Amino acid sequence: MTTTTQKWKNYISHEPHSMEEKMAASSSSTASNANIPEYEYIDVNTKPFHIGSFRNLWLERLKPCHYSYQEEDEEAFEADFAKEMGISMEIMGELKAICSIDSLSCHPADETPDPEVVPPDSTLKTLLQRKKRQDYKNNLKINRSGRHDFYADELDRLTVGRKPEEANDMIPEGEVILTINIYYPAIYDRFNYVRPHMTLMMTGSHSLADLRDAICCVSDLQVCGEFSSTPDMAPDFISKDHYKSAFFFFEGVFYNDMRFPECQDISMTTIEWAKSRNFPSYRQGKMEDVLLADLEVKVGFPYLYCHQGDCEHLVIITDVRLSHKNDCLDRKLYPLLTHKHRVITRKCSVCHVYIGRWLTTNDQFAPSNPCLFCDKCFRMLHYDVQGNKLGEFLAYPFVDPGAFN
Amino acid sequence: MQFCREKVKADCEELLGRFQQTDSVRFESFSAVWRSMKFSQVFYGTLGAEKKAFSREVLDTACSFFLPPFTFQIRVGGLYLLYSLYLSQSATPPQQIRLALKDWEHVKQFEHDAVEAQHLDTVYVLRQLLLHKAFHFTATPRLLSYQKKRKARRLPDCEAFVERPTRPQQLVSGDLLEELSNVQQHYERLKASICAAPDQPDPSLTLTRGDLVPRLQDAVLEFHRGQRLEAAPREDDDDESGGEGTSAQLECSRRAELLASIKSKSYGQAVEVSKSRRHRQVELGLASDSETAAASSSHRTHRMSLKARTNKNVQITGELKQETVKQTKLWCLTKLDSAPEDVPRKFPKFKW
Ligand SMILES: [Zn+2]
Ligand SMILES: [Zn+2]
Repeated sequence: MTTTTQKWKNYISHEPHSMEEKMAASSSSTASNANIPEYEYIDVNTKPFHIGSFRNLWLERLKPCHYSYQEEDEEAFEADFAKEMGISMEIMGELKAICSIDSLSCHPADETPDPEVVPPDSTLKTLLQRKKRQDYKNNLKINRSGRHDFYADELDRLTVGRKPEEANDMIPEGEVILTINIYYPAIYDRFNYVRPHMTLMMTGSHSLADLRDAICCVSDLQVCGEFSSTPDMAPDFISKDHYKSAFFFFEGVFYNDMRFPECQDISMTTIEWAKSRNFPSYRQGKMEDVLLADLEVKVGFPYLYCHQGDCEHLVIITDVRLSHKNDCLDRKLYPLLTHKHRVITRKCSVCHVYIGRWLTTNDQFAPSNPCLFCDKCFRMLHYDVQGNKLGEFLAYPFVDPGAFN
Repeated sequence: MQFCREKVKADCEELLGRFQQTDSVRFESFSAVWRSMKFSQVFYGTLGAEKKAFSREVLDTACSFFLPPFTFQIRVGGLYLLYSLYLSQSATPPQQIRLALKDWEHVKQFEHDAVEAQHLDTVYVLRQLLLHKAFHFTATPRLLSYQKKRKARRLPDCEAFVERPTRPQQLVSGDLLEELSNVQQHYERLKASICAAPDQPDPSLTLTRGDLVPRLQDAVLEFHRGQRLEAAPREDDDDESGGEGTSAQLECSRRAELLASIKSKSYGQAVEVSKSRRHRQVELGLASDSETAAASSSHRTHRMSLKARTNKNVQITGELKQETVKQTKLWCLTKLDSAPEDVPRKFPKFKW
């Protein structure tokens, strides 16, 4: 008690002179670290912290066995535990029995309840709600269980705890794993209530360029221009090959993709604009030079990915943690896609079977304006056998947002 | 899974409330409560991908009870709850318990207290979870995806579970005392600067006590000492009925926690401050408090979203509007012009 009082008094009587000193004083020696993530807004986002340092702080605190991928020996554990706590193996056995999973069993030994069914007689509020919800869903008579769930399950089955063939490809123990959501530009009415996004898992040793390459967006595949006279020319002209510039924006820094000679620093316009208006100055970096572990970021905070000049995506790091033995441990499968929003594809207006590949306007053959056609129907309807254009219309190659499903 | 957060929390609180009534930190007492509530069933009836999401939700909720500001007994209950949920969950592979870096020292301190007090079952359960790699060592307690708007309102902590005796210490924290002494100093300097003779301040300006800060600190320490004396005899009573000598040990670890709380909580962070304020409000518990709370929350909801503001400010009327509406409905492309306009299908809205 007296030492505590003394500490407290010392602390109070200490008059901080500089800001640094004040900050150092206001946190105890063990807890004083800006890289221990703290909330900026509770349950919304953290203050910025350095990913690599965060990892090191965890590793300093843990024993290697805490994050090792190895199964541990139960018997050795029991012997160690008994020794440390000074108890006999007999008491150890009793302790084990008391804390066993059998002690939690909620039904008589001769009954086997169906865990897929909500028990009708439960008093748990969670179950009352679940029952009500399931009854309601059954009334709707819509089977929405759908492919998405199936896909997610399938993915889990393939990647959980997966070990690589080559030992070299193993994600090292204690590596940091980031979960990143990339949101699609919300340009469709339909997306007002769901925020379509893809979710990627990456390691701290990935670069921002790796992240960029893992983001799939239709605007990278979008083909520009009107090709009604030369439909065969179109597929050679793909945006991703043509407009390679892109940037991420994290915590006041634009990270440009400068891997190719034709890349431009497209953040410059913004930086100059901000400078001329006395905004806080922004910095630049190269995305290929920056590893995720080098970043100083807020978890839960929306950042920006911009490509094709004006296709903007929100990027949110939703989770940062140490790797775990149940993670996919094959480095080659990363960046690992764990979620992909399924978009309803728009079918050809003639056959209603194939996904639209051409969009026409002012089209005298079309039932609507504009109108979508698959490649086959488009050509059959608009060209003769020699490939000559019939009638008046404009035709634009079209990539359906659902093309990645 | 946010729809069930409130219910899950209520169920956990019910369970821990009953555990609290047993006045015990034994796993046997906990498992008896668990069985009497048939808590294993909480996972029954979750289907497909829901299994994973529900495990995540229930583990995240339970984990909060394992951490401060709850009493040692509730934290033991929180640990047992995590352990039991982890073993009973229906998701395969099992979902891990998320442990944030900032909470690690609390876990270590908890483990230390439990070892000191020879709570074998508590230590065993914690070590078992570590042995089976039941934890994810994370940056934040929950996954964060900036769901500000759809976020369920923050559920208040159950008052009965919170370590009451530390509240005055929380309130009069090191930060507060430091701030107070700074203000005092500033004030004295200001007074000195307006006096003719800086060395001899005008006695008519001596309006506050110079020793306010040490006095306040002494008062809190005095309070804390009194509390301990008060707590001691009550624990003796318990000892006779409780058997096993756990109560004395409980007291012992609680004392350890109190000491720890003075050390750590005096460096209150922003979060801590807001928490202590919330408790203070509840304690005063007057009508005016709930009124202001209601007023401030309604004030918050009044702010319009960007979309609403855009819709309000950018008004397109007449033909042009018809046209824009049509143009943005891209997914209707393959429909005949003559086809009747899409009537939005109406589903009955589900009321929670
Ligand atoms: Zn894009
Ligand atoms: Zn077709």
